[in-house]
Amino acid sequence: MHLTSETFDQNARDALRDPVLHGALRNLADNFVERRRAAIASVDDWEGLREKARVIKEQTLCHLDRYLLQFVENAEKAGVKFHWARDGKEACGIVLNLLKKRGAKHVVKSKSMATEEIHLNAALEAEGIEPVETDLGEWIIQLAGETPSHIVVPAIHKTKAQIADLFVDKVGIEKTDDVDVLTRTARNILRQRFAEAEVGISGVNFGVAETGTIVILENEGNIRLTTGLPKTHIAVMGIEKIIPKFADLDVFLKLLPRSGTGQRLTAYQSIITGVKRNVTDEGPDEIHIVLMDNGRSRMLAHPVTRQSLACIRCGACLNACPVYQQVGGHAYGSVYPGPIGAVITPQLIGISKAKQLPYASSLCGACREVCPVKIDIPELLLHLRAEITDGTAGGAESNPQRKRKFTESLAFRMYGFAWSGPVSYGLGIKAARLMQKLVVRDGRIGKVSGFVAKLLPPLGAWTAWRDAPAVAERSFREQWRDGLGNNSQWSVVSGQ
Amino acid sequence: MTEVNGQTVKQDEARKAILSSIRAHLATSAPFDADWREHHGYASEGVAVWEPIRMAMSSAALAHVFCANLESVGGHCTVVADETEAAKQVGKIIDQLDPRRIAISNSELIGRLVERNAAVEIVENAHAEYLFDCDLGVTSAQWAIAETGTLVLESDRESHRLTSLVPPVHLCVLRAADIRQTLGEILELASRDLSRTVTFITGASRTSDIELTLAIGVHGPGELHVIVIAD
Repeated sequence: MHLTSETFDQNARDALRDPVLHGALRNLADNFVERRRAAIASVDDWEGLREKARVIKEQTLCHLDRYLLQFVENAEKAGVKFHWARDGKEACGIVLNLLKKRGAKHVVKSKSMATEEIHLNAALEAEGIEPVETDLGEWIIQLAGETPSHIVVPAIHKTKAQIADLFVDKVGIEKTDDVDVLTRTARNILRQRFAEAEVGISGVNFGVAETGTIVILENEGNIRLTTGLPKTHIAVMGIEKIIPKFADLDVFLKLLPRSGTGQRLTAYQSIITGVKRNVTDEGPDEIHIVLMDNGRSRMLAHPVTRQSLACIRCGACLNACPVYQQVGGHAYGSVYPGPIGAVITPQLIGISKAKQLPYASSLCGACREVCPVKIDIPELLLHLRAEITDGTAGGAESNPQRKRKFTESLAFRMYGFAWSGPVSYGLGIKAARLMQKLVVRDGRIGKVSGFVAKLLPPLGAWTAWRDAPAVAERSFREQWRDGLGNNSQWSVVSGQ
Repeated sequence: MTEVNGQTVKQDEARKAILSSIRAHLATSAPFDADWREHHGYASEGVAVWEPIRMAMSSAALAHVFCANLESVGGHCTVVADETEAAKQVGKIIDQLDPRRIAISNSELIGRLVERNAAVEIVENAHAEYLFDCDLGVTSAQWAIAETGTLVLESDRESHRLTSLVPPVHLCVLRAADIRQTLGEILELASRDLSRTVTFITGASRTSDIELTLAIGVHGPGELHVIVIAD
């Protein structure tokens, strides 16, 4: 069963009760956070590097039309064929059309978030073409019929025992708890698939405008096989993947592996500029790039939301996030989980379908600290929350928050009056102490419901998610007035 | 451009729609851009200064750093004095591995270094199907990066894309003079006459997809041997 973003609250509550998931997530936090820390220490000026990356991305996005056209022109010169897709459906249609025309039955795929985003596999399967995921983690979740729960390690939510059971069930191996045996099993089965594949489908990490080059990073070697063995290579890329210059790779190839897996470089980088020149050369006969918008160009409409398009999909914000660490990736109900998912998903699928996601954060800022391209994710979360409460997002549907406007502003006016001077403050405290009797349990204001919530809707909404301490029976000022200041302990201190 | 007529028209429509959407949304954003940059303290025309630090190093020192970094990611590295020594080392590694069938690239250097004898079948520039049955792939590398222990393979200068990838062991021979200290230097060199495919290789094929436990040799070679010729 696949969860949706609409029910994040319930998904998260269910995830919190899953001990297996917690073990996996603790492992992730312990491992990746530490590895990243060690890896970034090998760069002389990490902060300078991040700032450079931010500037490159910002400048590219501000002139994206120009850089996209430059990229396309240069890659076309090198023999690449381009296809433009306004949305996921169009992108799937283009890929399907290419496969059908080539009569392709055997298709291998390397890990690509863009193809996950548009559910390409389901679209191909519906037409009788079975795309085989070849990244080990992706293959595992494909066998299990699940979705990825992490951008970099898609099967992080599964234990090796679960994976072993899956392999026993689906590919008929003997039960084992040896990771090397499981890995070798995958290697042997997928080698067959590589050998017979007519088409390889990949994603893209960077598209270089200056040269028309695509760059793809990996550790396993399946991307090299996917882009090197079959006759046809199809790459699906979002329009935001562009960087202007080949030399800019110096910046991004330093940032991405260190942030993602804590490596100085991943095992392999494939830097591909067009198709082969002679028939006897190695590599595919044809390369097709599907350039996909699918909600991305919309994000250019404001400097805050535009930052979302700078993301290089390293996953560092997931690993650092206290919310992700507790609930895992599936709770977000989107292929993009964690802090970056909480800001990208509502923008991609429409904020009305993911209203809870911008609230799936304590705004602690850990994501902003680790982001290699300095995306201010808390700022984005607040921006999206503001869109939700202003009712400027999600079209004309009814917005419950809107109706609260009058009582909410009344409450804030009363609050403002109470804090405007010592007399009104004293009165305010007395009033609050009286009124809170309706809602205080064990010295705290917990979830307010019933007629009080109806009376004061903001109180109901606020306390639905957090407790507030009750106003004390006697305030400090009152205690002071009644002689706390004459206490001997305090006199000694003040007497010095 | 797609082949069928209807498709071409649709494609042109999609291209125009995406580009005009980009332009329209950027125009919507323009009035907010200056305030937002000021709020973050970002310069309006971003000027980020960042340059990697480079020290002058001899090729012997670079070979040493390269080997140390390659070994830190599980590669095996040997520095030899000249081609004669390199040929001996190649022979030694082949003896240890005892392969039935060896794939070699079309590099002249490799052709000279791999000794032909009746005991082992040696295939030059093997077809993809054939490579799946080879136990060892031998190639050279055009460049190497010392700071990361990375081999750089340029497809226009040697056919080694698949020979370095498909067999379970990859043996690579490299000249010390072709080692550079930083990634930036290599990108600069590679971009002068950019090969259709440039491949960076840093260590053996690896994965941590099962419980973040490191497993070596998942799709690419599980063993990587590098011989650096010092002369």
